[in-house]
Parts: sequence; C-alpha cells; structure tokens
Amino acid sequence: MSRPAPSPIYTLRGAGGPLNTLHFSCHGRDTPLLFSGSGKGAIHMWNLNSRRAQKIVEGHSGSSVIWVSTLQATDTLISQGRDMQVCLWDLSEGRSALMDSVWTGSVGFCQPSMLETSPGTRLLAFAGQQTEEPDSGPGPLLLAGYEDGSLLLWDVTQRSKLSQAKAHPEPVMCLTFDTNCLRGISGSSEKKLSPWMLDRQNNLQLQECVTLVNPGVSQLCIRGDGKLLASAGWDHRVRVFGWKKLRPLAVLQYHTDMVLSVAFSDHQDPRQRLLAAGSKDQRISLWSIYNEGGDTS
Amino acid sequence: MPPIMAQISDPKIAFAYLRPACVLLTRAPTVTNVETLSAQLKEVNDATLQQLQEYVLFPLRFVLKVPGPKNNKLVQAVAEAMSHVLENTCVQSWETLCDLLSELCLCLCSPTDPGKAADTSEELKLAVLRCLDALLHAAYGDIVFKLFEPNMLPGLGAAVSLLLALGEKEKSRDVQAAALKCLQALTLQCDCTQEHVVPSLEERCAIGSTMASFLPGITVAVARIITGDLRQGHAVTIRAIKVWSRTVGLVMEDDQFQVSEPWKTPPPDLGRIEQLIVHRTQDWVKSTAGKLSVLLKKIISCTSAHQHWRVRLEMVELDDHLLARCSQALGECVGPLLEALVGAVNDEEPRVRKRCEVVLRLVSQRNQSCSSSRSAQTFTDVLSENLHSLVTSLPRLMRTSDDQKKLFVLKVFLGYLKVLGPLVSVILNSAAHLERISKALMQVLELDVMDVRIVEERSYTATLETSSGTNDSYTAHIQRKHFLYFTDEKIISVLMEICQTLGYYGNIHLLTDHFLDLYQQSSAYRKQAAMVLNEIIRGAAGIAVATECQGLETQVLGHSATQEDLKVAVVSVVEEYTSVNNWHLITSSEETDRDRQDHQLFSPSRLLSIPNSNVGNTKANSVQLIPSSFGTVSSSTPTSAIHQLNSNIWQLCIQLEGIACFAQALGRDFRPILMTSLYPVLEKAGEETLLVRQAALGSMWDISNSCGYPSLKELINENSDYLLNDISLNLQRLSQHPQAPRVLTVMLTHSDCSLLPLVRDMVQDVLMALDLSYDHTAALFCSVLHALMKALARWFPSSCGRTSKSARPKQTSLHDEIPNIRQFLLDHRIQKELAEGIGVEEDSNEDLEVPPPLECEDVEDIEGPDVKVELPSHLSITKDVMERCIHLLSDPSLRLRLKMAKQRRKCSKGPVFVFFSGGTDLDAVCEACLPYLSCRQPIRLQEASVSVFQHLIQVDPDAFWFTLNELHCPSSYIPPHPDLLPVQLSGMCRPRDEYSDNVLKLLREEFGSVAENSVAASQLMN
Repeated sequence: MSRPAPSPIYTLRGAGGPLNTLHFSCHGRDTPLLFSGSGKGAIHMWNLNSRRAQKIVEGHSGSSVIWVSTLQATDTLISQGRDMQVCLWDLSEGRSALMDSVWTGSVGFCQPSMLETSPGTRLLAFAGQQTEEPDSGPGPLLLAGYEDGSLLLWDVTQRSKLSQAKAHPEPVMCLTFDTNCLRGISGSSEKKLSPWMLDRQNNLQLQECVTLVNPGVSQLCIRGDGKLLASAGWDHRVRVFGWKKLRPLAVLQYHTDMVLSVAFSDHQDPRQRLLAAGSKDQRISLWSIYNEGGDTS
Repeated sequence: MPPIMAQISDPKIAFAYLRPACVLLTRAPTVTNVETLSAQLKEVNDATLQQLQEYVLFPLRFVLKVPGPKNNKLVQAVAEAMSHVLENTCVQSWETLCDLLSELCLCLCSPTDPGKAADTSEELKLAVLRCLDALLHAAYGDIVFKLFEPNMLPGLGAAVSLLLALGEKEKSRDVQAAALKCLQALTLQCDCTQEHVVPSLEERCAIGSTMASFLPGITVAVARIITGDLRQGHAVTIRAIKVWSRTVGLVMEDDQFQVSEPWKTPPPDLGRIEQLIVHRTQDWVKSTAGKLSVLLKKIISCTSAHQHWRVRLEMVELDDHLLARCSQALGECVGPLLEALVGAVNDEEPRVRKRCEVVLRLVSQRNQSCSSSRSAQTFTDVLSENLHSLVTSLPRLMRTSDDQKKLFVLKVFLGYLKVLGPLVSVILNSAAHLERISKALMQVLELDVMDVRIVEERSYTATLETSSGTNDSYTAHIQRKHFLYFTDEKIISVLMEICQTLGYYGNIHLLTDHFLDLYQQSSAYRKQAAMVLNEIIRGAAGIAVATECQGLETQVLGHSATQEDLKVAVVSVVEEYTSVNNWHLITSSEETDRDRQDHQLFSPSRLLSIPNSNVGNTKANSVQLIPSSFGTVSSSTPTSAIHQLNSNIWQLCIQLEGIACFAQALGRDFRPILMTSLYPVLEKAGEETLLVRQAALGSMWDISNSCGYPSLKELINENSDYLLNDISLNLQRLSQHPQAPRVLTVMLTHSDCSLLPLVRDMVQDVLMALDLSYDHTAALFCSVLHALMKALARWFPSSCGRTSKSARPKQTSLHDEIPNIRQFLLDHRIQKELAEGIGVEEDSNEDLEVPPPLECEDVEDIEGPDVKVELPSHLSITKDVMERCIHLLSDPSLRLRLKMAKQRRKCSKGPVFVFFSGGTDLDAVCEACLPYLSCRQPIRLQEASVSVFQHLIQVDPDAFWFTLNELHCPSSYIPPHPDLLPVQLSGMCRPRDEYSDNVLKLLREEFGSVAENSVAASQLMN
C-alpha cells in the first residue's frame, strides 16, 4: 500500500465531552445533520454544511447520553441517557421540546433498538433488568448481546428465546446485523470480531472470527449498501472491512483517544456518503472513503 | 436702447408716414435715405409692416437692382433695412422669396464668377447673410417647398455653392459661421431658437430628393471645413458638423426610402435641368454611403480627439442624428459612427459623457426594441463585427501604439460591450468571438515579471502587525502590477471594467468555464486568466458596473447571474485557485532561504539588539533587517528561475486578490465558503515573501469587510473552528502540509484571548506534532511557539505592570512601593500557591514525551481532596512550551538552539512567567541555560544565554544572584556582626573556570557593584 494514509475530510470540535453515539440524518433534507451524544449529557445537532453545531439539547441532566436516533420522516429525536431515561424530542421549527420520556431502570451501557414497523408505529427495545444489546430483524425478532458474551435471538411477539450462541468470552460490547443477508457481527473487549449467520430456522451460527491488532471494540456499523463494515477501536483507530469477506481495507487514524462510536451517513447520493467517528478525545472525525468515483480498495 | 415709442398700428397712417422716404429712396439711392427709411420702419408695428411689406421692400430692392458697381455701404444699409423687415414679417409670395434669394445671392457673389464670393467687406457679407437668413426664416410654409422643385435646381445650386464657398474660403470666422448657418436654414434644417417650418415626411422626401443633387458637394466641402484648419475656432467646426449631419440626415433618411418610390417622374419641360436630378436608387444609396463613410472616417479621426469638448459633443450629436435617422441607408457608415460614439463614452468631459450615455441608451433601446426586425439584426451584426475586428487588432495595437491610443481603443472596446448590453451574452455564445476576446485579454494583460525586487522583498516578522482597526497600513504597500504592454494606470482600470462588463452581461457559467480552461491550459495565461476571472465575477455581481452604465440596463433586465449562479462559480474558481498545484507555489529558492536564515541569525545587529530589546523593538529589528546583503545570492541564481519565482508570486497575489473579489461579490453569502478559503489565505499571510503576505493581508481585510466582520480578529475568531480543523488535520501530515504551523501563527497574531479555549486544544496537537518530529520541523515549530508566547503576552497584559513591578523591587523606590504593598502581598500569595501547586507535579516534568496533566492537586488545599485547582490555560500552555524549549536547547542544530534561547527570552518577558518564580520551572530554565554560559560554547550562544539570564534576573534577582554566586563568587563576604554566621557559597574561592567570565559579567552588569550587593545578600542569607 503505497497510498498515503487517508485523513478525515474534516473534524467537528467543541462537543465538550467523549462522544458516545452518533446518528446521521441526511436523507431527504436540505441540510444534512449529524446528531451526537456526549459523555456530559449534551446532544449536538451538527449542520454538515456549515460544519457547526446548529443546536445543543441538554436533555439528560448532565448524565452521559449513550444513544441518539431520529424517527423517519419527522423532526423527532429520541435519546437515551445514563440517567435511566429514554427521551423523545420535538425538533420541528427549531424547537427542542421534550415530548415524552420512559424510565428504563437500567444502569448499563446497553443501547436500545428501534423498529419502525409502519409509519407511526414503532417498537423500541431497551435494556431493562438484564443488559442486552438488541437489533431488529423481520418478525419482529430481537437480537441481544449479553455481558457473559452470548447472543440471544428473541421472538418479540411470542416473548420466547429462539436461539443462543456464545460469541465471546468477554461481554458483548456491540453488535450489528445486516437484515438483507441475515448476517451480523459482534465485538467485545478482546482482539476479535465475531461474525454469525441466522439460518432459515432462526438459529444463530457462529462463523470464523476476525482477529484485530489491538483489543477492544466500542461499536460496529455496516454501511447502508452492505459493502463496508467499520469498527470503533479502543486503540484510537477506526478499522474498515469489506463486509462480505471481512477483508481489512483501511485503518483510519486520527483520534488521540478511544473511538467510541462510528456511523455511516444516509445520504441519498452515494458519492456524498460519510463515515463519522466519535472519540473520547471529544472530537468527531468525518471521512469520505470508498465512495463511488473515489478509492476502490 | 431708445425708449420704445408707441408704434404706428394704423396701416393708413403708416403708409402716409413711410411713403415720402420710399419715394425719396427710389429717386436718390443714398445711404442717408436708406437709413431714414430704416429708422421710420422701426416705428411701425409688425402687423402693419406685414401689410406694407411689398411696398417698403420695393425701394430697397430697387437700390440693389440698379446696374453697375454699387457702394458697399449702401448695400449694407439696404441689407440691414431688409433684415429688419424680414425678421418681423412673413414672406407669403413665392416670387418675392425667389427674387429676394437671387438678389441677395448676387450681392454676395463675385460679379465675374457667381460661384465665388465677392471681394466685399466682412460687414457687408455679414449683413447680407443675416438678411438671407431672415428671408429663409420668414418664408411661409406653403411657398418654401417650391424652392426644392426641380426647376429651382440651378438657382438653389448657385446659392448652395456660394454659401459653401463663403463657409470654406472666408477669413472671418463670423462670416464662415453665418454662411454655414444660412446653408442650414436653406435646407430647412436650422436649429436656432426661432420658429421653423416642420416639413412632413412627404415634404422631406421632396427636399431630400432635390438636395441629393448637392449632397456630394456639400459633404465634401463641409468635411474639408471640419478637417481643415484646427485653429479656425470651434464655432465654425461645430456649425460645419451640424451642416454635415443635417444634410446627410435629410438626404439619407430611412423613412423617406420606405414611404414610396423615392423619385417621381420629373415634369417633361425641364430640358437640361433634368441632368441635374439625382435619382435616389438603391445603388445610389449604397455607393453614396460608401463615399460618405470615407468622409466620415476622416471627420471622426479629426474630431474624436479634438481639444474642445463642444466639438466632441457635436460629434456625439452627429452620431445620434445619423444613427437615429439613417442607420439603414448609411450602411457601412454605421460602424464608424458607433465606434465614435462608444469611444466617447469615457470622455473626460462629463457633459460629453452624459450626452453620450443618453445617446447610447437610445441606440441600444432602438436596437433591442426591434430585435426581431432585419434592421436591428444588421445593427447588432455591425456591432459585433466591429467588436470582433477591434478585438482582433487589439494585441497588435497594444504592442505598437502609444498609451493614449491604447486607452482610446480600449474605451471603444468597452463602449461596444455597453452598447450591446445583454446581447454580449449572445455574442459570447459564438466560440469565435469568445476565443478572440479571451485571447486578446490574455495577451494584453501579460505581466512583466522581470522585476527582481519582487522576489527579494521579504518580511521576517512573524506576521505583519495590523492590530489597528484600519486597513490603511496595508493598502499603502500594495504593489502595482507591471504590465508588459502598457504603463498607464487608466488602461488597466479600463481593462478591468471590460472584464466586469463581460461578467455583468455574459453567461457567468460559460465565462468562468472558459477562463478556468485557459487558466488550466497554460502557465503563460494563468495570471491573466485569473485577473479576468476575478473581475468577471465582480462584474457578474454588479460591482463597479451598476453605477457606470445604469442608463443602458434600465429597460432590459440585462444581467442574468443570480446569487446562486455566482456562488457556484465562486466555489469552482476558489477550488481551482487553492488546489495544491496552483496554491503551493515556490516563491523563494530553498537554498537562498537557508542562507538567509543563517545570515539573519548571525548578523551582528540582530544579536546586539537582544540585551536591550523589548516588545516594541523586536518588531523594529526584524523590519530593519530586510535590506540585508542579498546581492550575492541573486546574482548566483539563474535569471529564468527568478522570473519563475516572480511569476509565482504574482500568481499568488492575483489569486489572493481574487478571493477578496469573490467575497465582495457574494457579501455575507461568502461566509460558508470561508470553510475552504480562509485557511489558504492565512497560509499566505504567514508567507515570507513580502508581496504575497501583503496581498494575503489585504485579502483578509476585504473578506472581513465583505462578510460583515468588524475586523480581522472577528474574522478569525468566528471561523477559528474551520481554521483549527484544517491546522489539526494538516499537522498530522506535516510533510505534505508544512504550512500548518504558519497558519496558527497568523491566527494567534490577529486574534485575542477568546481564542484560548480552542488554542489550548490546538497546542496539544502542535506539541504532539513537534514531539513526533523533532528532527525535521523543530525550527518551524519554534516560530509557532514564539508566536504563541507573544500572543499570550499580549492577551494577558493586565498583570504585566503589576508583577514586573513587584518582581523588581530594587528598581523602584520604597515610597512608590507603599501603596502597592497590599497588592504585592496578594500577588505573592497567588504566586506562592501556584508555585506550590506546580511543585507537586515535579516528577511529570521529567517526562517530556507525555504532555503533563493540565490539572494539579493542591495538597495544601483544606477544602477537600476532591477539589482540584486548575492552572489557568495560558499558564499551562506556557509551561508546556517551556518544557519543549528546555529539551530543544540541547538540540545539535545551532540555529535551533538560538531560536530556543530567543523563545526562552520571550517566555521570561511574558507576564505569565513571573508566576513560576520560586517554582521548579525557573530552576529548570536556569539549569538548561547554565551550560551555555561556558566559554567553550559558541560566542553567539553565550550571548544568548547571558541575555536569558539578564531577563531571569529581572524576574527574581535574589535567586539568580545566588545561583550565579554558587557557580562563581568573586568576593568573600564578611558578616557585619560577629553574631551573624559567615556566608558560605559554593562558588567562593573557586579558581577561574569556563563560567567565570560570563558570571562575572552578569553580576557586574545586573547587580551593579559586587561589593555593594554583597551586604544585602549576606543579610538575606540569614
């Protein structure tokens, strides 16, 4: 690889805390937005055109925000903080009004998962008494990762466990699932990424692990087109893999502390797609990689 | 003037009153008798005189008809008397008109040759011409047209040629002018204040048809008058121009050709007269137009540069008159007419300019209002053809003619664009036109890059100081561009206006694409293309164009570029300008650069200035250093390389100006573009080449004004996130982006302490980048750190006076100190606490690779172990920087060590430094600098080290007195009282060693007499 290491196209500073979570909202908007949740309780709404924070929502009474998302087609923001609350925000017409909140009672780091079954109908899964990291599948099915390193597949309507697999010896830190090919991957505090398949009988089948250079993965994210997987590493690096064969493609080096979150943008034009990484060093880096017309491998 | 008597109003009484005088005059034609009648005529009122007109004219005409030579005086008196009658009455009878005309003409012409003027007195001629004029004005509308019937041709011809002869040959200007005026009146084209017959179109056809016979004669003769003696006075020239334009306008009027077949079947009984009749056929019109255009060109070349503005104004009127009436019939004359008109658009006389603008507006209105018709098409064709041929010949003209001519040609160029207005866009759509225009501009705008000074002028100050609120300081330095083909400043401003007009009317996308192509195509065109692009975009935004030619665009929405179009264009051009290949140009030869740095560092003036320098004069020093020895370097460098550097410098300057232009064009809408453009501009503001730096600073000022920031400070502060983002990213790839530290330097120079929180974040990046690459880039970082310290010193000045005062008690008398005792104690407590705070983290100071923690635990704090005392940002930054300095002082590079020593001095001068007094940091500084007091070190380093100590002593005299004496103590101290313990210093009784000289020097210079101080010292020790 004689090519020089890629660098971020720009960075966003001033979040004032570690960046636990990132969420893009670029689809069908004039102004592409990036939401970030910081360790100090602030949710920043970054305008990606001006590259500045357009709005800051202080929602979780100073507690760390561990998850932010937006509801499709509405100016509604949903966030989870370590104050054990999941909050729903109305952002329309420049507002930032709290619409609703749910007390979870969970003190863990587990992020909730949301499934929009039809417009106006949404299912939200959040960790309750037990720690779980869920993802949604058709069914509705729910995938959850547990601190003992195992993955469980739940049927939500039946409230029954469909399958179980021991993916990691250490707690599951993160997982992501590609609903198109029924394949997912999970990361832990060790040097491995563990991919797995969901067969027709809804059984979880572990596949061959991918070994990393340094241990610890905070988050995993698959790009919308199912071609790329990005991992947020505790070693300050973002790693990019081809999703099909899990071939390592690039190591993105910029941050000076643990990378806590990664996200791919949902731009309509695939050439504008961005990868964002949020780190404990209080910066968000944005990368334009492997876009059409750009680098290929 | 006699009192007006009651005039006779009864015709009978008047008749009875006038009759004797008339009878007498008929019998005895003498001057007296004429004058008697003349006096009596004035007592008769106009209506009565009208009734008696024929009667009173008879004796007067009788005098003229008497055969044989006549007395001049008599004829003059008769003419004057007749003038009075004709001026106050109307001529209703055709016979009277016709006869009087021929009689008066006879008075004027030579008895031998009726075509020539008689050899009579000037007064007589004037009187007769006045009478003739009165006659023509008095003629009734229903008879005057009989003058133009074919059978009158011979008589009319005689009158015309006689008047022409008078106008051309006569010596008296008054007679010339009067004759020409008569000629105007004769063709019913008089423009005086009296009432005139207004001929209908049909009547104009008749007049025009007849006058066509005399057109060649009149136009040739009058053209001779116009182009003749330049000293003949403007009145005659103006009158002649009028005659020319009115006559041509009469004969060649478009409307006449359209109404009916312009010639009627002549009456059969004309005989030889028929030969005189001209039929205005199409062929005739065409050939006449050709001949007229020859004359016209002569006239224009003679009058467009005429000294008198009234003549130039009259030419504008001529253009107007002919373009308005005969633009079709005149065919090939339209080109020269327009050229003359557009050339006058920029006349120095405002009245000419104003009139010309009005005329041009009318022209373009006519042109646009009937753009579908054939005539307008040809009109546009003529304009664009003119423009094309002008542009084609432009490069040649720019090489060969003088500045005056060049200016005129360019003004004409500009004029065409203005007349064409929105049609410019259509013309530019033609590839041939666009190609010609752009190539012409490329050639004309070629810069002269021979000037070696451009390359040599450098600035060694970290950044130009522009802390004052105005931008006057930099505008004064803006370098004039030197062009290869002209020197006149006016020429470049016209050229710029041409570009602006192109941008205003042209399609902005087409133009930017085309000129960007040229820009990319060839390095030979790059600078010119950039200049054109800059002005085109300004023009497209309506800057500098709107006020100038508002007259032309009022009725048509000329300019098409929307703000969105502009933005797109600006973004693409800025992107091109700031791309690596076009922005990171070499402006100084690397080798000379290094030589110079050494020169600079080791030039004696530099080092001599160190001991007594203060904030103010470091700046002065560096400025003074600029004209240092450079002759050797430049002579050894190949000339072509110098030219390349020069060219690069200009390219950068033009591009920087361009970014400023774009900001102007977009106003506040430029703000989002600052994201990508501000960093490159700041990069150049830190450049060493003076010209580039000045251009960049100028650009920064323009940008901040255009984007609505009150000053550079706000510009930088409010966009510091963008800047720091780029700096931070580029610091990580320092090999590709070695300018990143410079940008930070510029930022720091122009900003204020509100930047501190962001800078703090940034400094960690800088220090980390430095830590990762000490070998290659340390020198580069030194300047950043230096700027950082300087900025901190500037941002926190309030404590400066206070602390420096308290720190140097020995320089202030005790009395002055008393009111400040409380403050002193407070300060002291703060210092002490801080010092103790720092003392705790002593260990971390040893590890230079890891940035020390920004917080430190204060063990003495009784409020609880959880409360942490955070060191103020600027102090922690300073501390971090100092640690690097200490480390770098042992660098093998001499230059670097010197820089660091300088840096150290900067830190110690800064007010922040005083907080470290008594702390371990000061010891660390001391420890680092001490080795350089050794006489084994290079002399420069010794001097620098001495200088550092001098500053340290200012901060804490006692501590350093002690330190120095520990090293070498020249004298022994005897306690003043036996009860006091004897002073023991480790430097006592030590033999002379490598440190002795410098230590003694410091003790002597800084502590005055060694002995005097020793007492104080010994007391202190106890």
